[in-house]
Amino acid sequence: MSPASIRLILWVLVTAFMLAVPWLVPALLNAFWVSVIAEILIWSLFAASVNLLYGYTGLLSFGQALYFGFGMYGVAIGIQDLHLSFWPALSLGIVAAMAMALVTGVFAVRLTWHYFAIITVVFSLIFYFLALSNKWLTGGDDGINFSLPPTFRIGGFTRSLTDATFQYEFILATVALCFWLMHRLIESPLGKALVAIRDNDVRASLIGLNVYLLRLIAFVLAGFLAGVSGALFAFFGRYASASYMFYHVSGEAVVWTIVGGAGTLLGPVVGTTLFIIVREVVSTHWEHHSLIVGAVAILVVIFAPKGVVGLWNDWMARLSERGSTPASAAELRVGP
Amino acid sequence: MDKVFLLATNGLIWGLIIALIALGLAVIFGLLDIINLAHGDFFMVGTVLAWATMQTTGSFWLAFIVAPLIGFLLGALIQRVIIQPIHNVAALSIVATFGLSLILQESVRITYGPTPGRILAPISGTIHMFGVDYEIYRLFAAAVAILALGGFFVFLNHTKLGTWMRAVRHDRDTAIAMGIPAGRIYVLTFGIGFALAALGGVVAAPITTVDFRGGVDILPFCFMAVIIGGLGNLPGTAAAAVLLAFLEGIIQSVADPTVARIASLLLMSAVLLLRPQGLFQGLTR
Amino acid sequence: MNQPTSEPILRTEGLTKRFGGLTAVDDLSFSVTGSRLHAIIGPNGAGKTTFFNLISGLLQPTDGRVFFLGEDITGAKPHQISRLGIKRTLQIKSVFPKLTVAENLWITKRAGHGFLDPFRPARADRETTSAVERTLEQVGLSALADRQAGTLSYGDVALLEIGMAAIAQPRLLLLDEPTCGMSPAETARAVDKILELARSIDIIIIEHDMDVVFEIADDITVMAQGAILAQGSPAQIAADERVREAYLGREEDEDYVEEAAHA
Repeated sequence: MSPASIRLILWVLVTAFMLAVPWLVPALLNAFWVSVIAEILIWSLFAASVNLLYGYTGLLSFGQALYFGFGMYGVAIGIQDLHLSFWPALSLGIVAAMAMALVTGVFAVRLTWHYFAIITVVFSLIFYFLALSNKWLTGGDDGINFSLPPTFRIGGFTRSLTDATFQYEFILATVALCFWLMHRLIESPLGKALVAIRDNDVRASLIGLNVYLLRLIAFVLAGFLAGVSGALFAFFGRYASASYMFYHVSGEAVVWTIVGGAGTLLGPVVGTTLFIIVREVVSTHWEHHSLIVGAVAILVVIFAPKGVVGLWNDWMARLSERGSTPASAAELRVGP
Repeated sequence: MDKVFLLATNGLIWGLIIALIALGLAVIFGLLDIINLAHGDFFMVGTVLAWATMQTTGSFWLAFIVAPLIGFLLGALIQRVIIQPIHNVAALSIVATFGLSLILQESVRITYGPTPGRILAPISGTIHMFGVDYEIYRLFAAAVAILALGGFFVFLNHTKLGTWMRAVRHDRDTAIAMGIPAGRIYVLTFGIGFALAALGGVVAAPITTVDFRGGVDILPFCFMAVIIGGLGNLPGTAAAAVLLAFLEGIIQSVADPTVARIASLLLMSAVLLLRPQGLFQGLTR
Repeated sequence: MNQPTSEPILRTEGLTKRFGGLTAVDDLSFSVTGSRLHAIIGPNGAGKTTFFNLISGLLQPTDGRVFFLGEDITGAKPHQISRLGIKRTLQIKSVFPKLTVAENLWITKRAGHGFLDPFRPARADRETTSAVERTLEQVGLSALADRQAGTLSYGDVALLEIGMAAIAQPRLLLLDEPTCGMSPAETARAVDKILELARSIDIIIIEHDMDVVFEIADDITVMAQGAILAQGSPAQIAADERVREAYLGREEDEDYVEEAAHA
């Protein structure tokens, strides 16, 4: 069987499964798992924001939780304090996240490597502490609980936001849309330019690429992805808390991305799925699942740095050695 | 006024202890180019080792030897097993140390337990100085920190191993060409980094809590000291640690501790953006 | 084909670069007229690569000015200078290792101009794709089009670099030791390509291989200790006493004098 047909079959199976979840999963397992899958989707999108920066642009950000937080709080504060309805609140969250990404990016993107990673953490810590100390606005670590506007309206189409099936479908649609956009970006000239910068930034500037500007664009786009995931999180947990802005959250997303496969489109999804499922399964029997996360992170980094999807792509490439499949997946960057 | 003096002096003393820990990070960061996200947890392990030593032997003083020793061995082991295979790729080592951090925290949580505990200071009592009652142990802690810092710099500048470390940091290829075993120096360095943090943990244990999450707060502070002091500038790092803790101590007397922390973070951002070589350029290399 | 113009294509005035106490480039006033292949030679540490770095924007001059086609480009950023039409290669072979050979060429062509469209697939850009195919043939790398650039042999990477230099259609091309580390066969191939390029592009080349220099250069500038020691035709340079002392001064190089004298 050729790699192309394997891929096609996988795509069909996965798509069918994802669409059938609200009915299939409760029937086979338990309705609880539907919300787990929804959570996986949201966090995959968050991991995708890390991946866009690290896997495709060569910038390791340990502070994406900041933009997740802005998306989350944009929605929460929008609904709770500003009494906005669904679409305005969502937009507020996303715009807030992107604006924050622009403002911090202008500074952060001037630095590279260690210093970039460090300053992303520093910025996210500053706002974490600000959020902690401004409990009147953010609820601090305890967070804000709020209730959703009752209906979702688009054109003439109305649904109740409390309908669990609809929630799942909306999350699925949004996340799928974002990943499709990311796919288009990667295939575009802009995407190729980002990968060039990742590979060799000096050379990139010498061929005429404005490295600073392109990195900033990538940073804002990543802020967008993180913001969307934060907004979705707020909507469907009806909860926002400063603890989600802490660097541990960013760090976990980095681990998920690298384990899943940085520099591949679906690596973040695979990594996130793996870790969240392990967490859900393990934590019912044993509370120390962090040990597993830590151990897996170390093992993957030493023995399989390309991650699951990276290994898969290698395997596919070997299978098609007879034909000529261009190496389409940008791979993990090696070297500073 | 008394309160300010007390907070300022406490800040100063705490700064000396942090200087010890931050130096461990500086050595790892400066030599191995690794952002060690587990460094705060190295400190935390030090506090736990102090507690464990007291539990098993009844002596706190023994911990001053046990903790750094175990820390050194652990650090060497970690370098050899985890860092060595991947230290060429910066991003991977960040992830690895993050994973290490999770493992350390969770292991302590399992063995020691989730509830923070306290260790009684081996020297109790206070001295009355400048109108304030001062805990003797804190003064003692400061003295130990100063001794340890001094000892470390003597080691670095006046022993063969220390010189080798500085050589490898300065120019790895030349050092190798001269016959210095760089690989073993890396192992040594990581071991020393852990040991310094663990020692800091022992010294700090009676002043702070023994808590599996004790390292979380220490980590950003150490990075601040390293960055503001200047990457590769060891005396600068020590100086920056003291300065930062001192300033935070003073700010805390008039404002929220969170404000103090935010101020330090802002300073750190400014340094990163405007003067990445750190504030203490003049102080040695 | 470039017509000789009165305005030099590249001109520097008093170009200086100091690093702390070290003066790498010292008050250099240099000009290159079009349609000539200009070589810069000199001992290690003479400041040749620093000079290139100053022109291409990787370094900012401490003093002095740089003019390209009459326009003052002093202090411009590397990508701006690149878009004006100056392209260069680096001393250590430097391409985009994780991209394929074809993608390396593609992005080089596309980067120099125009808007980087985030929406349409790169494949749809017919113009660039055909330019890539042409260049692949020109440098002889068509068979390796889909190989990752990082897996190429040293000689092939050099060809790729030359291809990247050509596809961008620069007005001025700076080549930094293009034949460094090559076998004689690879060197011959590279020299052929460079001569081909020289027919339509102005080139300044830093070289250590004297055979290559005396074979292809129209003009030679000799640098030492950050300043120009001598300038002139190959014959003049070969005969110049100061040059022989500072740089060529060994028995074997008497041959160059002989050759150049009869050139």
